[in-house]
Amino acid sequence: MVVTAPSAGAAGAPAPAAPAVRRPRGRTGLLAAGLLVAGAALVLAAGLSIAVGARGVPLAAVWTALVAPDGSFEATVVASRVPRTLLGLLVGAALAVSGALIQGLTRNPLGDPGLLGVNAGAAASIVVLTAVAGAGVGRTPWAAVPGALLAAVVVQLVGSGGARAGRGGAGPVRLVLAGAAVSAVLGAVIQAVSLADPTVFDAYRAWVLGSLAGRDPAVVGQVLPFVAAGLVLALALARPLDALALGDEAATALGLRPGTTRVLGLVAATLLVAGAVAAAGPIGFVGLAVPHVVRGFTGPDHRWLLPYCALLGPVLVLAADVVGRVVARPGELVVGAVTAFVGAPFLVAAVRRGRVAA
Amino acid sequence: MSALATRPAPADGPVRRPGHATRRRSVAVGVGALLVATAAGLAALTLGRLGLALPEVAQVLGGGGTRIQRFVVLSDRLPRVAVGALAGLALGVAGALLQSVTRNPLGSPDVIGLGSGAAAGAAAAGLVWPGAVPVPVGALIGAGIAITAVFLGSGRGFASPFRMVVVGIAVGAMALAFVETALARATREDALEVAAWIYGSLAARGWDDVLLVGAAVVLLLPAALALSRPLGLVEMGDESATALGVPPAHVRTAGVVLAVLLTAAAVAVCGPVAFVALTAPQVARRLTRAAGPGLAAAGCTGAALLVVADQVAQRAVPGTPYPVGVVTGALGGAYLAYLLVREWRRASA
Repeated sequence: MVVTAPSAGAAGAPAPAAPAVRRPRGRTGLLAAGLLVAGAALVLAAGLSIAVGARGVPLAAVWTALVAPDGSFEATVVASRVPRTLLGLLVGAALAVSGALIQGLTRNPLGDPGLLGVNAGAAASIVVLTAVAGAGVGRTPWAAVPGALLAAVVVQLVGSGGARAGRGGAGPVRLVLAGAAVSAVLGAVIQAVSLADPTVFDAYRAWVLGSLAGRDPAVVGQVLPFVAAGLVLALALARPLDALALGDEAATALGLRPGTTRVLGLVAATLLVAGAVAAAGPIGFVGLAVPHVVRGFTGPDHRWLLPYCALLGPVLVLAADVVGRVVARPGELVVGAVTAFVGAPFLVAAVRRGRVAA
Repeated sequence: MSALATRPAPADGPVRRPGHATRRRSVAVGVGALLVATAAGLAALTLGRLGLALPEVAQVLGGGGTRIQRFVVLSDRLPRVAVGALAGLALGVAGALLQSVTRNPLGSPDVIGLGSGAAAGAAAAGLVWPGAVPVPVGALIGAGIAITAVFLGSGRGFASPFRMVVVGIAVGAMALAFVETALARATREDALEVAAWIYGSLAARGWDDVLLVGAAVVLLLPAALALSRPLGLVEMGDESATALGVPPAHVRTAGVVLAVLLTAAAVAVCGPVAFVALTAPQVARRLTRAAGPGLAAAGCTGAALLVVADQVAQRAVPGTPYPVGVVTGALGGAYLAYLLVREWRRASA
C-alpha cells in the first residue's frame, strides 16, 4: 500500500507540488533518527547480555574488557559471553526480518516462521540429519534448509487444501492452523529421534526448545554467511515487496515480476530461518511480534520496516535471553520460552483486530 | 469464513430420538472400542522386560504368582493401563463436550490450549510452589485460566471457533513456556521427565493416579451423559432448543465446565497428551454415524486410543520407550491436517 503522508511534516511543508506518493521530509528524518535510537537500544541490549550472568560485570567494565582485554578475570568472563551475544544478534535479526518477509510475501499478518511450521521443519531436519549422518553434517545451517522448505510447502498445501493458489490462496488463520498441525507432527519426530539417541542429543536438549546457551563459538561463523546473505537479499527486495502489496496485477504493471520476487523472498526467508534455527533452535513469535510493533510507527513501507526489524529483532531476543537468565535462577530459562510469553499476546491482538479473515 | 460444520441435523425433525439402527451402532462402537482397549491392556500386562503368558497374568490377578510377577503386574503395568484407559475416557468425553459446544471439531481442549494450561497449572503446583495446592487442583486452576483467556481473548466467546483456535495457540504457547520455566527452575535434567511434562506420558503411574482420574470419571461421567441430550438439541440451533425448553446458555456453560474438569483430571495424571480429545470424538462420530455429541462412544474411543498409543509408544522402537504424547502428537497432528484439507475441499466444492 502506498504510504500517504500523515501530518508529521505536512503542516509547514513548503513543497505543495510534491507528488502524493512522496513522503514529506520531516517523517523521513524522524524515521532515520528512529533508526539511530533502535541502534542504540541494540547496543544497550548487547551490553546487558554480556554484563548479566551468574557473575555480573559492570557495563563500563564490559566496554574496557572489549576494547582492551587485559587478561583479568572479568575480561575472560566477557570474552566467554561474547559468542552468545553475537548469536542472539544474528538470530534476532534473522527471525524478525524473516517474519516481515513472510508477512509481506504472503500478505498474511500472521506470518511467522514459528507459527507457519518453518522453524519446526528446520529443527526436525537438523535433528534427523544429525542422527543419520552425524553432527558434522547435521549441525550446519545447510541441514536446516530442506526441512524448512518442505515444511513451508506442506503448510501452504494443507492450508489451501491442495487447491490451486489462484482462489485467493489460504487465509492467514487457516495457515496458522496448518502450521500448528505440521509443527505437532514435526515436534513428535524431533522428540522421537532425540530420545532414541540420548548420547548425541544430550547437549542439544536446550537447543530443541530454543536456546542461545551452551553453543560452540564456531556456530557464529557457520551461521553468519546465511544470515548476512538473507539480510542483504531481503533489503534488496524491499521495493518489490512494497509493489507486491498492491496486488500481483498492479505489481506487474509497475514492471515487476511477482513470481521472481516470491522465489527470491522465499530464498531469503529460508536462509534466515535456517541460520537462526541452526544457531538457537526453534524460537517462536519473534517474527510475528517485531514486525507488528515496527509497522506501528513505520507503516507498511518495507524500506523502513526491514531495517528496523533487523535492529529491533536482536533487541527482543537479547533482552529475552537476559530475562531468562535472571528469572529462573539457579536454572536458566530458554530464550524461546521468554519470547513466547512476550510474543503470544501479539497473536491474540492480531486476530482480534479483525482484519484477519479466516 | 464458515466454521467447520458438524454433521447437520437430520432433516426429519430434531425432536425424534435417534433410530434403533443408529443407537445400536453407537453401542457397538462403544463396546468395540472397549474391546480394543482391553486387548491392548492385556498386551500391556503380558509384554515387557518380564514376559508373562496370559494364564500367568490371570494367576497374578487372581492373587497368585511370584512376588516379582505380582510387583510388575499389580504395581507397574496395571495402574499404567488403568490410568491410560481412564484418562483417555476423560479426554474423549471432554473433547466431545467442547466440540459440541463450539459445534466445531477444532474446538477441542488440546487445540485451544486447555491441555497445555492444565499442564502449566500442574507444573506450578508440583514444581514451582510445591505444597501450595495439590497437583490436580493446580491443573484445574491452570485449565480454568486457559479457558478464560481463550474465551476473553477471542473477543467473541465461543462463537468464532477459528479465532478461538488461534487465541488457543497463543495461550498454549504461553502455557508451554510456563512449563519450561517450571522445569528450568526445578533444574530437571532427565530428558524423559521433561518430555513427560511437555508431551504427556503414562510412565511410572501408581494407584493414587488411578484413584484420582477414576474418581473424576465416576463423578463427572454421569453428569456429562445427562447433558448429552440437551447438548444434542442445542447443536441443532438455539431457537429450537429454547422452543423445546432447553436453555442453550446454561447447557453450554455446563458443557464447558465439565470439559475443563475432565481435562484437568486427565492432565494431572498423564500430562498434556496431545490430540486424543480432538481425534476420539471425531473417530467415534464417523464410526457411529450418529448426530449429537455421542459422549459415551467418544469416551470409549478415547480410552482405546490412549491405551493403544501407549503400547505403540513403548514397543515401536525396542529399547526406547517413548512418552505416549509423542505418538498421539504425530497421529493427531496428521489428523488435524487432514481435517483442515477435507473442510477446505468441502468449502470449495
